[in-house]
Amino acid sequence: MSDALIELREALLITPLSSIAMTLAAYLAALWAVERLGRPSWCPPVLLAALLVAATLWGLSIDFADYRRGADWLMLLLGPATVALGVPLYQQLHHIRALWRPLALSLPPAAALASCYSLALAWVMGASPEVLASLAPKSVTAPIALGIVEALGGSVPLLMGGLLVTGVMATLAVSLLAPPLGIRDHRILGFALGVNGHAIGTVRAFEMSPTAGAFASLGMSLTGILTALCLPLAWRLLGL
Amino acid sequence: MIALLRGFLWLTGVWLAGETLVVLLDLPVSAGVVGMLLMTALLMLRIGRLDDIAAAGQPLIGLLAMLIMPGVVGVFFLADDFAGQWLAVAVALMGGTLASVLTTLLLMRRCMPSGPEPETPKEPRS
Repeated sequence: MSDALIELREALLITPLSSIAMTLAAYLAALWAVERLGRPSWCPPVLLAALLVAATLWGLSIDFADYRRGADWLMLLLGPATVALGVPLYQQLHHIRALWRPLALSLPPAAALASCYSLALAWVMGASPEVLASLAPKSVTAPIALGIVEALGGSVPLLMGGLLVTGVMATLAVSLLAPPLGIRDHRILGFALGVNGHAIGTVRAFEMSPTAGAFASLGMSLTGILTALCLPLAWRLLGL
Repeated sequence: MIALLRGFLWLTGVWLAGETLVVLLDLPVSAGVVGMLLMTALLMLRIGRLDDIAAAGQPLIGLLAMLIMPGVVGVFFLADDFAGQWLAVAVALMGGTLASVLTTLLLMRRCMPSGPEPETPKEPRS
């Protein structure tokens, strides 16, 4: 690259607006492309958008840290957005009131096992404590999981990758395992999608039916809350 | 437009209240999660206008995927940091997720009252 172009690149990188524009453009392009492909469940738009940004950064040899500094302005909105999740939670309270017993019985073990299975597997295979901390909140919706990983001292990018794989896998697993088990109740399918596959599973559940969607977002919020409250405490107690 | 601003002020204010609690009580939870629970509690107590808060919250929730996307980009830039652990990570994520989906489905099949009407639940069988 010539000196003038490098100078221009440096000037543009000083303002966070270039990172923001890049993020918006990549996300819109990914939405368009995924729509064209017929919205396959194995390829959420976030994955494609992230690939596009990564390719752009690599192509223009921009440092990831420079991009991230600008994009942090956008991620600032995650705070109020997480608070906003309280609104759908409030609107689903009638489901919780009506079904509090089955929910109270099945949610804690389901949410705990979603994290424990992977932790046990990773630990057996010799993963480092930092990797374990990054994988622990893998079934929790991203804005909440980010807060958890901060508390545990894990790696944010690794968590993000884990969230993506988990969401896609959970969606596949539900569609593979439900028919042989004879489960057709959309409340159960939705709940399983939300508890295990966070936002990616919830999107899939809303495609199935509104009932599945409502139970998925219920499962997602409750798993998020339960994990956020218990996991850091458990981590502290175990002295990790 | 003003409703949206009022709603956004509520969301930001509740987040700040969450952060205040986290700092004062030394909670191991993120301010966002505390704020989300506070928000639900406030709405249950009929504090805050649901319409305003939903007007600001709905678009933000719709954009959550985009808001976390810059974090996802980082995945492509950490290849060297965890060299030698990729197999463990992959097995843990795939195997763990399969196992936990199976467990949730079995648990829910046992616990969930049958019938398509969630508003009129029967006694759970377990």
